[in-house]
Amino acid sequence: MAADESKQSDEGTEFADFMSDISQEISERVESLDAALPAPAPPPMRKASPPSLLSDAGMILDWDNVADRMIEEML
Amino acid sequence: MSVVNYSTREITCKIVYYGPGRSGKTTNLQHIYSQLPEERKGKMVSLATETDRTLFFDFLPLDLGTISGFNTRFQLYTVPGQVYYAATRKLVLQGVDGVVFVADSQSRQLAENIESLQDLHENLADDGFDPRIMPLVMQYNKRDLPAGEVSPIEELDDRLNFRGVPYFPASAIGGGGVFESLRGIASIVLARLSAPVVKR
Repeated sequence: MAADESKQSDEGTEFADFMSDISQEISERVESLDAALPAPAPPPMRKASPPSLLSDAGMILDWDNVADRMIEEML
Repeated sequence: MSVVNYSTREITCKIVYYGPGRSGKTTNLQHIYSQLPEERKGKMVSLATETDRTLFFDFLPLDLGTISGFNTRFQLYTVPGQVYYAATRKLVLQGVDGVVFVADSQSRQLAENIESLQDLHENLADDGFDPRIMPLVMQYNKRDLPAGEVSPIEELDDRLNFRGVPYFPASAIGGGGVFESLRGIASIVLARLSAPVVKR
């Protein structure tokens, strides 16, 4: 009888021990893998869109900047 | 089979229990199944003949839940040990991540153990795996039998374990050594998370 009770209380402990060991193993492994993996590439830099040189009506507001930008495009 | 999938955050390990007929492969899985808490008990699939010999294979899925952010599953299989089920053994071995070789400790079974071990190596090689680097542990089962009937551990290890892999004395019928063997192979397989099994 006592042996039966002891057996019942033992049931599941083997699995619990196994789970504990495996969890630790995976946790350590994942940490080392995370460290070894290359850092995710930063998102590509997007050129900041220059401020609009046109008025709502399409009139050029800043001639100096327009010239600068044309020269930049040509280069 | 991929052991770790970073995109889906999954770890899946296929472990195959290999060995000669009646060495105790199914008994290993039955003991593991008996120890599972109710909430983790899936279905153990077992196809046996009328004389309780494994006809096709046994399959025990072990869903360990989420560990360190990874949904972790172990899939445990046995192969039919009888010589004439060679095709089934090859099929079950496909995509294997690790092998527990269940050897029968009885002295009169030594030749069967050696034959089964050679069969394992041939099947792994046929499937493109390098048998020399496949994760493997040896289990010397039936240590509960009278001393006169079983070979000493040292002798078994000398004759069978030429790779010098970890070995575990076991008495699967009472549960001894079963989880130790599973932990042993799991540890080796998990240690290779960053290095998948190399195909030749």
